Amino acid sequence: MIANQLALVRRELWEHKSLYVTPAIVALVLILTILTAFVFASGHQEIVDIGILGAQNIAGEGERRAALLALLIGNTIPFILVSAILTTFYCLDSLYAERKSKSILFWRSLPITDAETVVSKSLTAALAIPLVAFAVIVIAHLVILLMTSIFVSIEGGNSMLLIWKSAPLFDAWAGILLIMLLLPIWFSPFIGWFLFVSAWTKRAPLLMAFLPLVLLPTLEYWVLRTHLIFDAITTRFDHLPIFKGIDLEQFFNDEKFVGNVDSVSLLGFIDIGKFLASPQMWAGVIVAGLFITAAIYVRRYRDDT
Amino acid sequence: MTSLVTATNVSKRYGDVHAVDNVSFEIDKGKIMGLFGPNGAGKTTLLKAVLGLTDCEGQLSVLGLDPFKQRKELMQNICFIADVAVLPRWIKVSQLLDFMEATHPNFTRSRSEELLSRTKVRKNAKVSELSKGMVTQLHLSIIAAIDAKLLVLDEPTLGLDIIFRKEFYSNLLSDYFDGERTILITTHQVEEIENLMTDIMFIHDGRILLDSSMEALPDIYTELTTSGENADKARQLGPIYERDVFGKKVMTFEGVSKEQLEGLGEPHTPSVADLFVAKVKGAAA
Repeated sequence: MIANQLALVRRELWEHKSLYVTPAIVALVLILTILTAFVFASGHQEIVDIGILGAQNIAGEGERRAALLALLIGNTIPFILVSAILTTFYCLDSLYAERKSKSILFWRSLPITDAETVVSKSLTAALAIPLVAFAVIVIAHLVILLMTSIFVSIEGGNSMLLIWKSAPLFDAWAGILLIMLLLPIWFSPFIGWFLFVSAWTKRAPLLMAFLPLVLLPTLEYWVLRTHLIFDAITTRFDHLPIFKGIDLEQFFNDEKFVGNVDSVSLLGFIDIGKFLASPQMWAGVIVAGLFITAAIYVRRYRDDT
Repeated sequence: MTSLVTATNVSKRYGDVHAVDNVSFEIDKGKIMGLFGPNGAGKTTLLKAVLGLTDCEGQLSVLGLDPFKQRKELMQNICFIADVAVLPRWIKVSQLLDFMEATHPNFTRSRSEELLSRTKVRKNAKVSELSKGMVTQLHLSIIAAIDAKLLVLDEPTLGLDIIFRKEFYSNLLSDYFDGERTILITTHQVEEIENLMTDIMFIHDGRILLDSSMEALPDIYTELTTSGENADKARQLGPIYERDVFGKKVMTFEGVSKEQLEGLGEPHTPSVADLFVAKVKGAAA
């Protein structure tokens, strides 16, 4: 069972090279951008010198840690956005392409159930895509920090103190990994819906997936003058129950914050309890489960090859 | 139990259309069963039902299993080649072997590699880079490496040139068939497998027109070439089908002995292709 899932998920990664090529391209773009920024910065010697001097002598450990955490998080957000797009396209393609190419006849000639296949595609979307992206993020972070420390050293700074001793690498990575694993669960109704559309539509999966998301709320408003569907869709995008409430004003002004190194923590901002206690999260998982079950059913009973 | 496939009153409807209409048959172990029918006759639907790819009415048992409900167990012991297009085009040969090894309990990788080494199929090639003939060789090398009890072939040589077609069937016999295994095959090129199959079944409009062993065919069916008065006499014996060839009448008889026809012209055993036409046209008339 688990061995089959591993083989099936590995197959998905063989087929969908974009799942690792795209994050790699994002990493390359980020690295090149930062490199360009360093070259540009070298032209402004005084500002760089003052910056390094300030960071070494005036800033406290907490501030240096916060600055580096911000650098790491900033260089993670593009990966998360790209992962969301990749997941969408992957899901829409995963059960559609095999029907279009008729290779479904080959896959179904093997001793693998439709449920196993659809589950493997769900796992690829919810687990494999974030894990692959995370691996690329870790490599990108290390390269960026290495470049930064070389730049700081060339400019006469103490890169050991400024970068390697100050960077909260494991806190940042643990936090990023956790967020990247929670996000697909939170957005799982979309994963389920896309997989279902992919299994069901005869053509244009992208259109068939997004058209109802626009048409249904519009129709509901015309007919019933209510906006329940609209709310159900849009509330997924605000109030993610992953983070503790952050008072931004306090975040930037609190004297204690800078003094307390341990409070500079991404992991510390994540609230697993709140996530697990969120009824919306569980409702979303149930909706996803229904869509995935429907996708299995369609793949099993539909006979159009 | 020697019967691998047992169908009793199997039907499959698509809306109002009876793709398969109340069909009953058996396929015994060690047989090579040829299934023929015009396009839309219900061949593929019947194969799909046997493979558990579609559900159907009636009782269908394959290797003692319900194919639709127990597809996974069934597929450990059945192999299936639909047509050359079905191997995924993006996959590499080596990946395909890796995947088979990981997921199929009855797959022997070394056997597949040995068969592939006799071909020009390179291991690091993608399926999309292979010619149609090579894709078929690849597919057959995988199928032959699976210790399966039943092999189902649906138009396996469609779109292949003559050399690959001949090679496919000779490889099928030498690498796959060992008298223990059973093959169910459909093709339009009847003559290519005429000497290969042990049993034959005709299907038309969802119904079975003929279900016989190849050995029994000469005893049941006779084709008579005749003309003039003899033709009229022969017609009294009730041919199932009659056609004109170069001014002579060629009649196909069912259940009329060759001795009876001896004096009326030249009796001989019809080819499968001719018999097929006679049965289908006769049924339509």
